[in-house]
Amino acid sequence: MKKNKIVATLLSVAMAATLLVGCSGGNGGSAGGSTGGVDENGVTTDNITLTYWHYEDETTMNLLAEAFMKKYPNITVETKQITDMSTDLSAAAAAGNFPDAFCATDSDTALANMYWADITEYVENDPDMDQMLYSIKNYGIGKFDTDHWYAMPVWYQPSAIFIDRNVINKLNLEMPRTDWTWDEMIQLIKDATVDDRTGMKYYGLGYYNRLDSLYGIAACATAERAIKGEFGFDGTDFDLRYWAIGEEEFGNLKVNGYVAPQQDTQAMEDWSGDWGTWFGATGHVAIFSEGFWSYMNLWGTDGYQEQYGLDIVPYVTPNVVDEKEHNIIANMYMGGISSSTEHPYEAYLLLKWMGIGTEGWNARLDIYEDESITNASGTALKHANMPVPMTTDEGVWERYKAMFPQDEEHKMYWDDYFASITRPVPYGWYNIAGYWNFCDQYFNKIGIHDLVDAGTAHPADYAAEASEQANYYHAEAMISYFGPSGYDVLSDEELATYQATVDSFGK
Amino acid sequence: MSENLNQEKFNNSVPTKEDKKQKRVKVKRGKLEAREARMGYFFVLPWIIGTLIFVLIPLGQSFYYMWYNIRITPLGTKFNFVGTGNFTQIWLENPEFPQQLVTYIWQTIVEVPIIVVFALMIAMMLNGKIKMKGFFRLIFFLPVIIVSGPVMNMLVSEGASTIPAMNTQAVINALDSFLPTKMATSIGELFGNMIMVLWYSGVQILIFLSALQKVDPSLYEAAKIDGGSGWECFWKITLPTIKNFILLNAVYTVIFLSSNEQNELINMIKSAMFSGTKEKGYGYASAMAWMYSIVVTLIVLLFFLILGNKHDVYDRMVAKRKRMLKREERLSKKIERRSIRNERKLQRARRSHRYKTYDGRGDY
Repeated sequence: MKKNKIVATLLSVAMAATLLVGCSGGNGGSAGGSTGGVDENGVTTDNITLTYWHYEDETTMNLLAEAFMKKYPNITVETKQITDMSTDLSAAAAAGNFPDAFCATDSDTALANMYWADITEYVENDPDMDQMLYSIKNYGIGKFDTDHWYAMPVWYQPSAIFIDRNVINKLNLEMPRTDWTWDEMIQLIKDATVDDRTGMKYYGLGYYNRLDSLYGIAACATAERAIKGEFGFDGTDFDLRYWAIGEEEFGNLKVNGYVAPQQDTQAMEDWSGDWGTWFGATGHVAIFSEGFWSYMNLWGTDGYQEQYGLDIVPYVTPNVVDEKEHNIIANMYMGGISSSTEHPYEAYLLLKWMGIGTEGWNARLDIYEDESITNASGTALKHANMPVPMTTDEGVWERYKAMFPQDEEHKMYWDDYFASITRPVPYGWYNIAGYWNFCDQYFNKIGIHDLVDAGTAHPADYAAEASEQANYYHAEAMISYFGPSGYDVLSDEELATYQATVDSFGK
Repeated sequence: MSENLNQEKFNNSVPTKEDKKQKRVKVKRGKLEAREARMGYFFVLPWIIGTLIFVLIPLGQSFYYMWYNIRITPLGTKFNFVGTGNFTQIWLENPEFPQQLVTYIWQTIVEVPIIVVFALMIAMMLNGKIKMKGFFRLIFFLPVIIVSGPVMNMLVSEGASTIPAMNTQAVINALDSFLPTKMATSIGELFGNMIMVLWYSGVQILIFLSALQKVDPSLYEAAKIDGGSGWECFWKITLPTIKNFILLNAVYTVIFLSSNEQNELINMIKSAMFSGTKEKGYGYASAMAWMYSIVVTLIVLLFFLILGNKHDVYDRMVAKRKRMLKREERLSKKIERRSIRNERKLQRARRSHRYKTYDGRGDY
């Protein structure tokens, strides 16, 4: 009896203790004994720990962090792959263990909660930043239409159009010039759609990115409107008329049977005989508006193209006018340093190393070039969503290009492609304040893509209303993020302009 | 003599102050009893601590949060008082919330009776004399383990919760002809989700099993001697005996359906809580959660009203008899008091010699 009581007592105490222990939280990150010393470059000489949260391959980032630690032996870097940005970061902010530097897929969340610190002083005094790609520097991607830098791109992959040369040859068509125009692409899609009823139909286009999202950036000459963001955004306001043209054009292609069925659909089963087929592995599609990663992750892996009878080459997303250099839409994660970090400069150096900086890129290339290093899935790291350099450093580009096909037949395509992607413009959710709210609360709810694809609506009918809505959400977000209740960096004039847009909404 | 007797009766019927005091005297608790009580409290201590920390404090916090727009920045939490702003935002600018709320109400009202009835049927079967009883009990309880984890999400995404051969749309169309569309859709979707609904019955089956095992077998024996059939035994003995457990299971099912991972509203609240957009966040999610909890409470109350402790015919007869006895008791007391009063009047009349009988002698 006595023994039972002792056991019961111990169990109860243990349960109560477990509850209490469960509640205790520790502050992440730690700093060694601070002496406040800095070296000749202004980097601390104290032993410190920095945390970096990212979306990339974990093995790559750990190796990159090791390279950083080799350069700065007194700095320990801890990395973590983000599962869900909002959840992970808001939980970290609530628990007081926010990372020192991190990248974000949705800038609205980071700005609304003031996750990012102002890094203007570091960026503008950093000679490395002169080597940034044209659009990043000139459009101030990371400034969010203010005079301050809050973020910088840390991971970039441009849009790309891929062409299967084998299909073009089989259909006796001419390969287009590498600096093609939008109309030439549309014509090729139509020409390459062939259904001779003797076998599997040839489709002109297989898409991952809808053409309207590509067209919105490539829609006009710079002289007409300097489009710096999705939906015709020029840094001040939106004009969805450009998007509407692309949306209509893409809808027409779908309705008229120029676009290959998607994976896991009945249409795909009817066409290829297998529900789960991906159109990129059929050898019956000429042009692909695929993600850049599709090449290195799939087509560029050993034996893939031979297995499916493909010969894939890249093309730049064409412009509507025949401009050699033009903007292209891109995936671009934005990174920043935390507003609560105790070591802002060191966090900035780490951020630059992990993303945009030349030194960091050289360290990355060391990792990618060694194909014996693999990640947890056994994949060589260059085949695990490898980004594209954002620096114009020639040494980096030489090494980077060398990882792509070097035979005479294909090298030309890759060289031309890389030469034409110097002006990336990120998707709206990366660099336009209020964009996510606009999509979440208005645009996605219209269901316009489905309506247009079914041929039951014309996007031009929605363009004026959608532009007004987008301007409203943007202005409201600018006031909220950068006005007095946020970073408080807008001038009275700017505030009045945004307020006027908000006030005039719906009148 | 009769006077004394009446006085005694009168004294006995009215409790004195001393009687009341005596009744209120507390019996000192024995050492053993006190120790047992302490151990009892000690054993429930983890639960009390858990409830305080994980229920009451968050409840209070969320009540406070719902009046604010809250931004959790790395430099601290910013509270901006918005009053009822979160509520107006939810009702005016988030059409999904009211829609989901209506769907949830319909689904719960339809699903709860089905789950409870199914659980009762299975429990009765498992309580019978069958072979491999333990194995079957395990089989029916197994989904409880599965549905409480991410495995359920994977199964649902693979379509395991539906019966492929069942044409849900046909069911909806048929029901739509005589039921409101919303109700027809809810019931139709229930058919589409039938397997999952049945999987939700594990705990309820266990509760019913324990209730069925508590029913006194002599009641059935007596009923059978009197010629009662199985059907009559179910309605006259089983159901009245376990009726409290039906309510318990209905409440449990409402709570389970309202808080499991498949519930769209829960996911919506979670997503709003961690949303980084400036309108949402903890305040917005708290307002949503409070409105939702009020609806859940109302549904629980509804089931309580329907299944609450209503008296059956026998209870009603007993209560009627008790009421009648009380009435009779009151009447007899009234007569008693009147007799005493009359007696006193007579005594006074006699003393003052004003009392006269019909023959003038002054006595009977």
